[in-house]
Amino acid sequence: MGALGKPIILMVAMYVFLKFVLPYIPGSAPLPSSLIVLYLLLTAAGIVIFQTLSGESKDAFWGPMQRFLTGENIGGMQAIRYAVLILFPLLVGWQTYGSTAASDVPPSESRTIHPAPPGEYTGLSNPVQKTPENIMQGKGFYAAFCSPCHGANFDGKGPAARGFNPPPANFADPTTIAMLQESYLFWRIKKGGVGLPIEGAPWKSAMPRWEAELPDEWIWKIILGEYDGAHQSPRTWE
Amino acid sequence: MSEVAQLQLIALSIVGFGIVVLLFIKSTFVRVIGFVAIVLGLFSLMSLAVPQLASLPPAEEKVDIASIKTPTDIAAIGQTVFFSKGQCALCHSIGPSESARCPDLKGIGAKLSKDFLYESLTDPQAFVYQDFRHGGVPKEYPATMPAINKDPIGLSKNEILAVIAFLQQMSGEPISVSTSELEIPGKAPSAPVKAAEAAAVAVAQAH
Amino acid sequence: MQQGVGTIERALRAVGGHGGWLAGLLLIAGWLALPSIGLAAEGATTGPTEYRDIPYIGSRNLIWIVAQLHLLLAGFVLGVPIFAWLCEVVAWRGGEKRYDKLAKEFTKLLTSAYSTTALFGGILLFLLVAFYPKLMNYLTDIFFPSFLLYCLLFLLETATLYLYWYGWDAMQEGNKKTLHIFLGFLLNFFALFIMIVPNAWATFQSSPVVISDGTAIERAWAATWNPTWWPINIHRLIANVVLGGYICGAYAGIRYLSSRNTEEREHYDWMGYVGNFIGVFGLLALPFAGYWLMREIYQYNQQMGITLMGGFLSWLFIIQAMLIGVLFLGSNYYFWLGITYRIPGSESKYRKPMLWMLVSLLLCLAVWMTPHSLVASIEEAQKMGGAHHPLLGVLGVMSAKMTVSNLMILITFMSFVMYWRAGKQDTAGWATFGKAVMGSVLVLASIAVIVLGVWGYFVPAIVRINYFSTSQVLIVIFVILTITPLTALLLKSAKTTTEMVWGSMPPRAGYALVLNAVMVILLMTLMGYARSSSRVHWHVYGVMRDSSPYAYSPALGSASLIMAFCTFSFCMIVAFIFWVATMGDKAKAGHGAAKGELPHGIPAMAGGSPDERR
Repeated sequence: MGALGKPIILMVAMYVFLKFVLPYIPGSAPLPSSLIVLYLLLTAAGIVIFQTLSGESKDAFWGPMQRFLTGENIGGMQAIRYAVLILFPLLVGWQTYGSTAASDVPPSESRTIHPAPPGEYTGLSNPVQKTPENIMQGKGFYAAFCSPCHGANFDGKGPAARGFNPPPANFADPTTIAMLQESYLFWRIKKGGVGLPIEGAPWKSAMPRWEAELPDEWIWKIILGEYDGAHQSPRTWE
Repeated sequence: MSEVAQLQLIALSIVGFGIVVLLFIKSTFVRVIGFVAIVLGLFSLMSLAVPQLASLPPAEEKVDIASIKTPTDIAAIGQTVFFSKGQCALCHSIGPSESARCPDLKGIGAKLSKDFLYESLTDPQAFVYQDFRHGGVPKEYPATMPAINKDPIGLSKNEILAVIAFLQQMSGEPISVSTSELEIPGKAPSAPVKAAEAAAVAVAQAH
Repeated sequence: MQQGVGTIERALRAVGGHGGWLAGLLLIAGWLALPSIGLAAEGATTGPTEYRDIPYIGSRNLIWIVAQLHLLLAGFVLGVPIFAWLCEVVAWRGGEKRYDKLAKEFTKLLTSAYSTTALFGGILLFLLVAFYPKLMNYLTDIFFPSFLLYCLLFLLETATLYLYWYGWDAMQEGNKKTLHIFLGFLLNFFALFIMIVPNAWATFQSSPVVISDGTAIERAWAATWNPTWWPINIHRLIANVVLGGYICGAYAGIRYLSSRNTEEREHYDWMGYVGNFIGVFGLLALPFAGYWLMREIYQYNQQMGITLMGGFLSWLFIIQAMLIGVLFLGSNYYFWLGITYRIPGSESKYRKPMLWMLVSLLLCLAVWMTPHSLVASIEEAQKMGGAHHPLLGVLGVMSAKMTVSNLMILITFMSFVMYWRAGKQDTAGWATFGKAVMGSVLVLASIAVIVLGVWGYFVPAIVRINYFSTSQVLIVIFVILTITPLTALLLKSAKTTTEMVWGSMPPRAGYALVLNAVMVILLMTLMGYARSSSRVHWHVYGVMRDSSPYAYSPALGSASLIMAFCTFSFCMIVAFIFWVATMGDKAKAGHGAAKGELPHGIPAMAGGSPDERR
């Protein structure tokens, strides 16, 4: 049972680790089931590859399984074999039914947080000079229009933020505006949530379409103020 | 049944076909086909398991002259033209860029007058600095500026003016293109834009 | 006439409301419907016709399938001569006759493979002219000088190919052999140009440059020299070698599975090894070429780069990572099987290193396959606080992926070196020192790659892309370039303790070879879809808009069935080509008394293999 027992223990240990250990490491969170399945699949692939590297290990690994499924004179195992042969297809059928039947669980969501901007917004650069006055002005506009949601500290924790899911972007987080260019911010501010392409799930974002309210120059100044206030700098490509 | 479920069913039956072949058929070649079927079916199942996104083409924008009220509206149209029909962004960038093959247009609206810009777009060789050089390393794929109002790009006068307005806006300049300059179909054309310099090729000294 | 088409379409719609998804399976119906192209033309509109359609399968899908098959076949006929020529040179310099035999065996395929490719090219051209007149008009206008050049190249290539193949036996000795080798070089030389000329047309579509006035040749030249032309040329050249190698491996694998005597088993086992080796060799260089291509795309147009890597195609790259992962695992698995089965008694010695390599390979794969934004239900997403996992999210970005792909290349290379050294004992006095040097180079390189990868998180993107990723690549290349000659030198004086036993591999080795070939073909079809979809709704990116009803890009799932169909058809076509080419051998062998035990004259490729397989 050694060659077969160890892999089973390994799989179980892997599952326990992913499900019950990893989420409780500080700074972590529960893994979605899709990721757990992926890692378990990799583990299983590794086990099969390793166990079939040589003739002996392959026989030790497959032998018991083969005997169980096709061998003769296995005594009491006979009943278990039939049980497995009947239950396994039923299990597959149940899974298939479960995945296709109508349910009240909302479908998995996959929202691209930073989708590709339309062509006319990729190559812009800020026409407003980066002077202290302009930055101050931008921060002023920010305080008036943006801070209710994105927060006076640029941390996405404004007084109105709690009402939204997904939450307003946290500009202090290095994976938000620090990963983007000024032109990208210009597009997002100007066109708002409704201006997102379909992969960005425009119906989910509550960001207003500011082009209706603010002139372009103000938006550019807000961008200057935002980067300065959040202590980030825009991404540069080549 | 949703479309994805139908496709999953197809992929599953391909896998099933492969398994049946491997279980019951002895001929090597058919067995390999069965094996390939399993692999391909699993590939399709995997592709069906990730989020399904189709990319739909955006609606084509038709410019309506009547909707243009302010110079900013003109610049907005210019922005679209600059990055699509006008093909300007194939070579030029706004702001420094290593990959751009041609001069950076940042601040060009502040440096040059409207009429000069118009001439540069329609007759690019009319006014060329002697000893003109790019700053920095030579560009990998240099290109010659084509006349924008001729084929294959063939922008109309309105579109060129819109691009100029956009360039002025991107330079932080007041837009000097006014709505009255635009040609409205059916009306007599307004006064032609005068050339910046004499018709002959002007040569200037430059650093 | 319009009426008639309408009725047909309505009838078809009535037959199955799910026409879309059946389309891929009903290609045959599409072929039969070819004559109706004429009927489907839009007649009533004014001005020149821009698009034509074909009922049921749709013009775009038909073009897609034919273009993909043409491209795969083209990759095959360009990869095989490189492969064959390399083998011939090895035989010529090294004097091993079996390499010459192998080269000849593959060149034999070329004539039929070449005509099949040309056939599909012709079909593709007619379909393009019929379905997309507007686009073809535009491209012809720009590229017609290179169209003529392409025709000329075809004449040269065909002539060289005929000389090369039919002159094989006549040009075996002395100077004649040198001439033959030169002919082989010439064949590959023309083949290279046959590849890069149409590459210019395709790359112009995704990265056009401005065409100014000038003569026809100047215009064509300017358009040819577009930013992604050379990256694609290099990428495809290497990929073709990989394809040729792995298909050779798969062919050997199938023949090995169905071989009946020791002689055949030994020969095809060895052929599978050579094919896998050449495939892996190319595979090691492929990620670098791909990285360069991606960089050029980002430089050319960020929007296209983001669409590919972060936008609507981002999931495609997770699938790609999985396929490449299977390919790496499959290739290494074959190496490892080779060690345990071909070198008797080595299993216990190499079991530990293999386990370590496998574990590190799987860890790298796990990192590579972890997406940045995860598939999660709303409940799960709330627990994570968004679509990114707070801890594992860091594995989803480019810095991590670059690092692990470099490490995977290193591991695969080590696997190969291990295979190379297996069963040999070093006798050189400096062996210990040499091994220590190699070991430390490897360890230091791995550490450097990982350090650069981790450091990459803390520097601006531009520094990471320009310096860190490039250094990682250079480090890996450095390792390959130092260890290969050192090992070769070490083995020159080494004593062989255990001879390699050919023909003792288990059947799963044959299936592993087939799996690798299928993965390469699937990857090529997948990236074909990626290249086409990255242009989104443009024929020529940013210049000519696709205004046909097929301007949308289909979702990955429904596209995957068409990709699977293309892969399967290609495998069948290649199997057919192999079958046709080897039919003569079988007949000859059947007449000779040597293989009297052949039960019937059906070639093994056709499934006529014996039932006594066990």
